[in-house]
Amino acid sequence: MRLHQVALQFARVVEAAGDADELARILLAITLELGFQYFALSHHVDVAVVGDSAIRLHNYPAKWADYYDAQTLGVSDPVHRASHVTSVGFRWSQMSQMIPLTARDQRILELGRTQGIGDGFTIPAHVPGEARGSCSFAIETGRPVPETTLPLAQLAGGFAFEAARRLWSGRGHRGETDAPQLTDRQRDCVLWVARGKGDWEIGRILGVSEETVARHVKQACARYGVSKRTSLAIRTLFDGTLSFTDIFRR
Amino acid sequence: MLHVLQPGDAPARDRVLQAMFAARKSVFVDLLKWNVPVVAGTYEMDRFDDAQATYLILTDASGAHLGSARLLKTDRPHILNSYYRELCAKGPPSGPRIREVTRFCLDRRLKAAERREVRDTLVSALADHALECGVEAYSAIAQMGWFQQILAFGWRCRPLGLPRHCDGALLAALRIDIDRDTPALLRAAGIAPSAALTRDLRAAA
Repeated sequence: MRLHQVALQFARVVEAAGDADELARILLAITLELGFQYFALSHHVDVAVVGDSAIRLHNYPAKWADYYDAQTLGVSDPVHRASHVTSVGFRWSQMSQMIPLTARDQRILELGRTQGIGDGFTIPAHVPGEARGSCSFAIETGRPVPETTLPLAQLAGGFAFEAARRLWSGRGHRGETDAPQLTDRQRDCVLWVARGKGDWEIGRILGVSEETVARHVKQACARYGVSKRTSLAIRTLFDGTLSFTDIFRR
Repeated sequence: MLHVLQPGDAPARDRVLQAMFAARKSVFVDLLKWNVPVVAGTYEMDRFDDAQATYLILTDASGAHLGSARLLKTDRPHILNSYYRELCAKGPPSGPRIREVTRFCLDRRLKAAERREVRDTLVSALADHALECGVEAYSAIAQMGWFQQILAFGWRCRPLGLPRHCDGALLAALRIDIDRDTPALLRAAGIAPSAALTRDLRAAA
């Protein structure tokens, strides 16, 4: 009962946050209330490339944040990758059961620990058509994860991410309205490109000539401003023109 | 085209309902592997699909199912107070002005872009329906991934309790308050009925 009151309180305050600074202050208070020391709210993108349009809010030590950016960990961070395979909050110590951890991943986690960031709990936040994101709460190295507040952390993370999304979109950063649009035929071709087929095969499948397929794919690339078929497939997956279900469905 | 099938309506449009039950079987049983009853091997129907349920069903011009949602009265048995009371810290919200949204279903045949159009149109229709019928809040149960999407629609949501593991999934119950501001909140979050489906809506009205 008491925890639920706290959850309601969290939902109310993050919804009322008027700007990113205020949200950061609120998140810090929530973080401490939950029994953690650090929070990180982010879109999983390379901040150096995407800049202000991506959500990013944290209270990690500056030295660690700088290192993180220098290594462009935003895209390869094992915590981010693990959050792409679940919609449910997970402890970092469970990650090795969720995704293959490389030697570099292990080094990153170890380095984090030497910087004072111990175990953590990450809540994935995926809104279709937008960059994937997450909200993490972390503890100082050597402290135990506050087990009892994890369900609350799950809710708090979800509401916090949505609050950030609202604030960032208010700055005009959603940018969905002028998204490239494909014709149905272009989309059909890209679907088969994403399934790994070449132009000749796609032509046979769709009953058109290889040249026609090549033209559709080229025009689709032009609409997205990319020159490679792989980039095209990824962009259409990212913006929801294609879904993973489309690709794997037979 | 939006079909609103309410208790007390003239005999329901059987074909539209049938198509919805079949689509629900395809989504909830075949795809999501829910352990729910299937009638005649084709239709997903349970004991709440009775004369008191309301359905919002989107179809294309030929009557094929695109998306649907079931609204249950909360002053009689519904899902939250029958199976998932533990998801609500203070008991499930109930009363004549509260409906439970269940079986929110997007047809499996839809492509990604169409899914979004149908989803947005259905969400907008939920808000409009509530305003037309004096419903002040919806309750709902959601897995966490869907929970995040519901929040992202921009309307006012509150958790009814802490998330819990039920049948292998992490579920949470929430309350969505609907008032005159809701349509504007949805629009601000980018949720609007699709132009094509809206034309049909007007034609049907």
